[in-house]
Amino acid sequence: MKWYAKFVIPAVVIIGVLGVLMVNLSSALVYYNTPAEVQTREAGESRLRLAGQVVAGSVIEEDTTVVFTVQDCDIAVSVIHTGTPPQLFSEGIGVVVEGTWNGEMFVSDTMLVMHDEQYRADAGDYDQDLHTCSES
Amino acid sequence: MTANEHRTTVWPWIVMAVAGFHVFVASMTVPPDALQGQLSRIMYVHVPAAWLAYLAFGITMLGSAMYLWKKDLKWDRRAHASAEIGVMFTGMTIVLGMVWAKPTWGVWWTWDARLTLTAIMFFVYLGYLALRRTTDNLDMRAKRSAILGVLAIVQVPLVHFSVIWWRSLHQAPTLLNPEGPSMDTSMVITLLIAVSGFTVMYVAMMFKRIELSRLEDAVLVSEQTSSGPIAGHGITSPDLTGGS
Repeated sequence: MKWYAKFVIPAVVIIGVLGVLMVNLSSALVYYNTPAEVQTREAGESRLRLAGQVVAGSVIEEDTTVVFTVQDCDIAVSVIHTGTPPQLFSEGIGVVVEGTWNGEMFVSDTMLVMHDEQYRADAGDYDQDLHTCSES
Repeated sequence: MTANEHRTTVWPWIVMAVAGFHVFVASMTVPPDALQGQLSRIMYVHVPAAWLAYLAFGITMLGSAMYLWKKDLKWDRRAHASAEIGVMFTGMTIVLGMVWAKPTWGVWWTWDARLTLTAIMFFVYLGYLALRRTTDNLDMRAKRSAILGVLAIVQVPLVHFSVIWWRSLHQAPTLLNPEGPSMDTSMVITLLIAVSGFTVMYVAMMFKRIELSRLEDAVLVSEQTSSGPIAGHGITSPDLTGGS
């Protein structure tokens, strides 16, 4: 065996395995669904994650629940969340909610706030339209 | 003062000077982010730690490739030192990231693409360090770890681009972003000061670790080549019979 064969063959095998893993894991590596994807789902008990921006003016807080609308690429879904939202939860911010889709509303019991990659000392300098659509 | 002593005694002072300036700027002068408030200051340690981990693993790849080409153990020592420091920076990135995640996202940890791949990278390089302990033969050790040191680098682009390739909870890069930096200039400058501080820390640690490896290897070689007891005559009982 030539000296380089000892490196080239394992390298090709490892890169091949990684490639297969990448292609197959791609769907598992996707952390959340968009409102458009959730709407095409059958209503049911299977848990999934939904993400989008909280639509301004849609938040209604009650005793133990929060009702609001999340939107991505101009498609909106209503969410009813049970529990206290995280500290940074506010209108316009991105959220990931975890729960089930009942055909009309997304019923959530876990909420994570997504902060984006913008850092501005003055809130007016944020580009509000940067994440209005996650698929370009 | 020899060049080696100079490196290991002067560099820690440079680190302290730059790090002191970094701490001052990042905690006192730069304005906080309007949305995240003071929490955004964690960025000035989390981001440079992550970048230095990338750099350290890149140097491990170069050192490993150079060893495979030249068969000179000095390249193996450089690759090893850099991997060890890279593991430390990766661990730091994860811990600081968790401290940042809890108050912002609302959880310490979640299995999104960036976090999962970073955790895998951490354990693969821990595996590299473990692999080095499987043999006392210096050439064998260098060869085995060099092969892994070259292959493991594929994880760095995977970790970095994970937030662009897959939908993740972790935000996209701010500075190393194809569309240009999306932060205030004062914050960019602070981040660059932070990165230079971490870089001099990396250089200082490299000098120290390589020097230590050289001594460790010399001890190993002398143990393997000498037939006498390890500590020589240092542990023989004092001579009580003769003398005045």
